[in-house]
Amino acid sequence: MFQINKNLKLLPAIFLFLVSFFMFTSCNKEFDKAGGEITFPPNGTTPTLATLLDASDMTILKAAVTKAGLLPSLSNTSLRFTLFAPNDAAMTSSGISLAVINALSVSTVTSLMQYHVVPQVVSTASIPTTFPNLQYPTLLNPAPALSALLRLTTFPSRRANGIWVNNIPITVPDIQAVNGVMHKVALVVSPPSRYVYDRINTDADLSIFKAAIIRADEGLAPTSPTSIIGVMNNIGANLTVYAPSNQAFKNLISALTMGMIPTNAPDATYISFLASNNVTTQTVRGIVVYHITLSRAFTNNIPITALSIPTFLNLGIPSHPGITIASTFTGPSVSAATVKGVANATASNIAINPTPDPAGTSDQHFLNGVIHKIDQVLLPQ
Amino acid sequence: MRKRYNVFAAFIISCMSFITANAQTVTISGTVTNNTSKEIVPAVSVVVKGTSKGTYTNSNGEFTLKVNKLPVVLTFSSIGFDSQDITVSDASKSIEVDIKVNNALGQEVVIAATRAPSKILESPITIERITNADIKNSPASNYYEILGNVKGVDLTTSSLTFKTVSTRGFNGSGNLRFNQIVDGMDNQAPGLNFSVGSVIGLTELDVESMELLPGASSALYGPGGMNGTLIINSKNPFKFQGFSFLAKTGIMHTDQKYRNASPYYNWSARLAKAIGNKFAFKLNMELVKANDLLAADDRNFARTGTTGKIVPGSRTSDPNYNGVNIYGDETSADIRAVLSGIAAQAPFLAPFIATLSANPINVSRTGYKEIDIVDPETLNYKIAGALHYKLTSKIEAIFSGYWGTGKSVYTGSDRYALKGLKMGQYKLELNHPNWFLRGYTTQENAGETYNSTVATQLFNEAWKPSPGSTGWFAQYGQAYLSSKLAGAIDIDAHNQARAIADIGRPVPGSQQFKTIFNDVISKPIPKGGKFIDQTDLYNYEGQYNLSHITGSFADVLVGANYKKYVLNSRGTLFADSAGTIGISEFGAYVQVSKGFAQNKIKLSVSGRYDKNENFSGKFTPRATMVINVAKNNNLRFSYQTAYRFPSTQNQWINLAVGGGTRLIGGLPTFRDFYKFNTNPVYSLESVIGGSPKTPTFSEFKPESVKSYEAGYKGLIANGKLLIDLYGYLGNYTDFISSMVLLQANSGNPADLADPSKRTAYSVSVNAPQKVKTSGYGLGIDYRFYKKFSFTSNFSSDILGDLPVGFVSYFNTPKYRFNIGLSNNGFGKDQAFGFNIAYKWQDKFFYQGTFITGNIEAVQTVDAQISYKIPLSKSQLRIGANNLLNQYYRNAAGNPSIGGLYYVSYGYNIF
Repeated sequence: MFQINKNLKLLPAIFLFLVSFFMFTSCNKEFDKAGGEITFPPNGTTPTLATLLDASDMTILKAAVTKAGLLPSLSNTSLRFTLFAPNDAAMTSSGISLAVINALSVSTVTSLMQYHVVPQVVSTASIPTTFPNLQYPTLLNPAPALSALLRLTTFPSRRANGIWVNNIPITVPDIQAVNGVMHKVALVVSPPSRYVYDRINTDADLSIFKAAIIRADEGLAPTSPTSIIGVMNNIGANLTVYAPSNQAFKNLISALTMGMIPTNAPDATYISFLASNNVTTQTVRGIVVYHITLSRAFTNNIPITALSIPTFLNLGIPSHPGITIASTFTGPSVSAATVKGVANATASNIAINPTPDPAGTSDQHFLNGVIHKIDQVLLPQ
Repeated sequence: MRKRYNVFAAFIISCMSFITANAQTVTISGTVTNNTSKEIVPAVSVVVKGTSKGTYTNSNGEFTLKVNKLPVVLTFSSIGFDSQDITVSDASKSIEVDIKVNNALGQEVVIAATRAPSKILESPITIERITNADIKNSPASNYYEILGNVKGVDLTTSSLTFKTVSTRGFNGSGNLRFNQIVDGMDNQAPGLNFSVGSVIGLTELDVESMELLPGASSALYGPGGMNGTLIINSKNPFKFQGFSFLAKTGIMHTDQKYRNASPYYNWSARLAKAIGNKFAFKLNMELVKANDLLAADDRNFARTGTTGKIVPGSRTSDPNYNGVNIYGDETSADIRAVLSGIAAQAPFLAPFIATLSANPINVSRTGYKEIDIVDPETLNYKIAGALHYKLTSKIEAIFSGYWGTGKSVYTGSDRYALKGLKMGQYKLELNHPNWFLRGYTTQENAGETYNSTVATQLFNEAWKPSPGSTGWFAQYGQAYLSSKLAGAIDIDAHNQARAIADIGRPVPGSQQFKTIFNDVISKPIPKGGKFIDQTDLYNYEGQYNLSHITGSFADVLVGANYKKYVLNSRGTLFADSAGTIGISEFGAYVQVSKGFAQNKIKLSVSGRYDKNENFSGKFTPRATMVINVAKNNNLRFSYQTAYRFPSTQNQWINLAVGGGTRLIGGLPTFRDFYKFNTNPVYSLESVIGGSPKTPTFSEFKPESVKSYEAGYKGLIANGKLLIDLYGYLGNYTDFISSMVLLQANSGNPADLADPSKRTAYSVSVNAPQKVKTSGYGLGIDYRFYKKFSFTSNFSSDILGDLPVGFVSYFNTPKYRFNIGLSNNGFGKDQAFGFNIAYKWQDKFFYQGTFITGNIEAVQTVDAQISYKIPLSKSQLRIGANNLLNQYYRNAAGNPSIGGLYYVSYGYNIF
């Protein structure tokens, strides 16, 4: 007992000792900081691209976007878009009213609206000013069954005279939203639905050009990827075709035959000539490919100062000087444009008429290219 | 092997012929008890004074001894008791001896300091001693952990059963600068290069003492002991007899932070018996079973070669996330390759893809957590036995075997799941007070061990291959682009792409997962994750203390050893696919000691020469001086050199590891094999710096250290306060380090910048820089009242200035501090005991070939209370390691250590 009592005296000391342990023992920290996480603005932050459509001049577009089911995406702050926005006036100019929107099928409105949305932020500062332009995929997949990654593209461009998407002027650029940017456009930006060859195949004024293409493809199946028809029917192609009118071919063939074939014979005469042994396939092919460039240039992309650009011909003859293009602007619109082959005495004129396909003759936009009608056949040599 | 044993057998027989038959006529018997508690005292030495004839008391405190004639003077001695002489003149009745408890400090005798017995107070170098009595009263659940509370000691915990001791820096799971010697045998796994002491060493009940020599010690113990040597000695069956049993049952993971709460079992048993005075045997077994600690650091690690850093980001915020303890996410690729393929197919997307592709889009595969891929159960089974035979009263022959198998986790260049690791050590030894001869072999078998990183990477490949047009990265790239085309911001596109590429990913624990994983880990590297390692070591050594001849002039000690490694990994670890690789080493040492001025000054000079067949020979001198300034007060000074030959892995490793890097040995043959001469390699730093440079290779040499140390050890306050103080300086040259080299697969240096077009090698080299370390420590042991003991120590290890970018792997806290309070006998019958220990260590920066990162400061409290059940030889104990369950880690990439609470029942523990 004596010993225990003596030990008891020590207990306070031991207790203090133990308490001091626990005071020392604050929390161990296992890991130091790993750093911050990325934060996003919460949904509902204004303005979003969707709330921008609440403006009083956006009623038709808002109705169309709503019908297309795109409104939730345009409200989502973790998605990023560029919206090309025709206001009510632009819609009306393009012949689209609320009634039209209501009348059109959901799939048609969806396609139309998806073509106005690019899935990334394209502010005008990032649009290149150099020839020809860049292409930006829109939300519109023309053939989802073919590939989930297929997209129709738009072609924003910027020059001293203005800013466009395809050949549609951007009237009010760079309206910022938390989830992207909106550019007001002067007209509806119509998505193309046909291939370049579809127009050539059906336009009566291009029947001789078509015959030239067929002769140029002699020996190749139309489905061959190296055939011109094949390329003109390929969704992956990106072309500008300077398509000589029938009269342009008539004038050329008449000159080549020293007038033996007049300039005003029936179209069939020239078509037969191009199929005959009077010309070689190689010559015709050389001329046809000289009218095709492997980039998409609307007339507003053609520089004011004449510029030589390569053509399809340069794939075979890399050193060829190509064709020379030039344009004249009146305000934000192109009033005249020319294209000249190296062996032509004068430049041929693009028939300016941007009425959408099939009615117009310039800036005719297709799934895989654009066609401008010209009044001379371009001669590479 | 058989042949070698035959040689030993013949040797023993030849020794036996020396045995002379003495006529022993009188038998004395008696019992020894503790004079205060009246308990019987086992393992007391009973020796006929002035001779080597003697015995020990058994577990009932009894002894019998035959002597030639009466009267005779018997000396009774035991640690913790005063030595006592008794004159016996009548053998007809049993002698009752009460020996007096002596709590005096500093009386222990140590052997490790000079390879000859000396009082710990007079040791010429810093030495720490932990005895079986300390182990008995320690709160630690495992005797290795006791070392963690010793001054200047760090523990690296890779697993519950894998704890590595380090002193004076360079901590790591496999510390190549620290020797562990168990019963005279090097405890390092010869192929895996880590000391397996806590996995496969002595069982707790069989440990008699641990002697720790911090600092350079290869002058006496051979290559390796550059920073310290730990010597663990087992209990001699002549001395410690009887049956002992210890059952610890505990609980871990109580807060379920990392795992569900789970039991901890540690059961050990020991049986030892002397049959007559000539023969004794012992048998030991230990089983540890628990759910292992879990490494669950999910921070993001940016890796380059074998180095890197912790960076912000998680699996959901960084597409190229590589979690520290997440495996399989080391596989990474730039998906721009996929995107540019799509751009070629779909030109209308090319400009869009170009806007995404300005910078590399590195993406890592989805990994798995350690909990998913490493079996939680850690199982450790040890069995050991020894036969002792006294050929004469002075020569004792010992044949012993130690075998263990374990499931554990080791951190090297990756986390290695040790599964079915087996290691056996077999020894034949002849001991004489003046000499010993010893031969042993270490037989290692990595069992089913696999590399967590490589296994999980291959698991991912087996489920869904990374490359190819339908591979994981192609699916990811397409899905990423698809999400981008829907307007998704980058990180969302990545996460959506990952969700798509991961569709059908095996769920951990599912049958699908198990089937694929088991297939991967059953195949050897490089097709699977499994190691085949059956590397062996054979060692022969002897020592002779000539002091009985030379004593009039000086004490002289000589010794020599021969060592042979046989590397056998069948190409899975070493470059030994064509057959085993042998490495031979030999060494010899001599030590001369002399006292001056009535032994007030003791000088000792020793030298050791070693030669390894792959390296030039190395001489390591040592000089020590002890000055006795007053009774029980000594100053010590030492100059020591130490070195290590490059490890077997430093020499011969040839292993592709997780980060896409190949580890290769430093021997010149590798440079030829990988055609460094025809397709040059460039240093990683120079490639990153933009002007690739080829390194020059100099001779691969052993690393060496020169160490200067001074210390004081003394008893003050009437012998109640022991103070030990030391300071040291270390100077390393030819520091063995590694260098990351890049080789362009095409031979064109322009390809070096692209990880997919280059091969990275991490090659062992000697760093040209000198590495300096210094440190100091102070420890006190204060027996302030009866058996109450207060201990405290503070120590510091400091790394000298190094060039920027030099990776030293110093990995040591600058300061650490321990305090403890204990009593091993108070209350009625002195039946109660307790021990409480607090440890703090400073935060430090940990560099590893697996992970580099900060280790936060650590504080832990361990405590135990024990009760001896009177007259039953039994003890009950309740204890806790990390009492407050404050998780901490002591090395980067290693598991978080939480609380372990246990109760134990011990029978006949001495």
